[in-house]
Amino acid sequence: MAKKEKIFLTVLFVIFVVAWFFAARSLPDTKEAFSTLGHRWVVTIGNFSFNPATIIMSAVLTALIVWFAVSVRKEMKIVPSRKQSIVEWLFESFYQMVEDTVPDERFVKPTFVVATTLFIYIWLSNMIGSIPGISFVGFEDGTLKEIALFTDTWQPPTADLNTNLTYALMVFVISHAFAIKAKGLKAWLKSWFEPNPVMLPMNVIGELAKPLSHSLRLFGNIAGGGILVFIFSYLVKYFLLPVFLWGFFGIFVGTIQALVFAILAIAYISAQLT
Amino acid sequence: MENMDLARAIYLAGKAIGAGLAMGIGAIGPGVGEGNIGAHAMDAMARQPEMMGAITTRMLLADAVAESTGIYSLLIAFLIIFAL
Repeated sequence: MAKKEKIFLTVLFVIFVVAWFFAARSLPDTKEAFSTLGHRWVVTIGNFSFNPATIIMSAVLTALIVWFAVSVRKEMKIVPSRKQSIVEWLFESFYQMVEDTVPDERFVKPTFVVATTLFIYIWLSNMIGSIPGISFVGFEDGTLKEIALFTDTWQPPTADLNTNLTYALMVFVISHAFAIKAKGLKAWLKSWFEPNPVMLPMNVIGELAKPLSHSLRLFGNIAGGGILVFIFSYLVKYFLLPVFLWGFFGIFVGTIQALVFAILAIAYISAQLT
Repeated sequence: MENMDLARAIYLAGKAIGAGLAMGIGAIGPGVGEGNIGAHAMDAMARQPEMMGAITTRMLLADAVAESTGIYSLLIAFLIIFAL
């Protein structure tokens, strides 16, 4: 590092510390800051209640993914650009993984499509959780308290159990639909009575536990990580530490959990096909 | 704190003890499991250092799966504290 850069960084750090010192004094006290912890903004219309934050963020993410896909699609070349080669590398490694796991050749491509779609969406959603931004803070009864700026990260849709449970149930239904298609209805029904009819309740519980653990794993990691980061950041009054926490819980844990979700989806589908 | 009646004090104590127990006992399983995973991954890396990259990624994946019971107890602890 050149001497000029060192001086520049030192001055920047001093300005940061001074600004932090004055900004930290205006933070709310502990009880008020933690009173909204773990609560969401919920809108109730008739018998249905919605999480507007989840809906808005998933719409934004979907738009982002579609925009990216279209922009890659538009400039497809034989000699790939950087964007295209990233996408190709991702798709190739996933296709390889699915091909190695799924025994039936007919179901390789559908499984690949499902798993890769889940991975891309969940990964981007977890990445959102590592960037400080606008978050919707709610009271215990679900009314909106305030729209907070830069005290917390953007709210990832995967920090909401509704999103994760939807995907886990989707994988569950898809795996059984594939099983019926591959083995026929009779063999599928018979597979519930393996190795003998006494084990039927065990098989049912075992199958139902799959989507539950599948969704709760992702939800717990992202939502729990978010709450932990919020508590730690408040305790150090947002001094320096949140950056590393957001990096760890957002980028590191987020990537691994997205990968685990996709791999488990492949494993559950292929387990039904054998 | 002084005007807190006994019922509320017991309620708060129960919440705190419950959340602490849920998190503390729930962390034992993942601790042992991740220790095993790490130990065996180290063994494998010592035997075949050229496989280090592949082993590290698989180790992290296995860690994430072994961790899930600990994450469930973290969830339960948060539920006890914030939603009960």
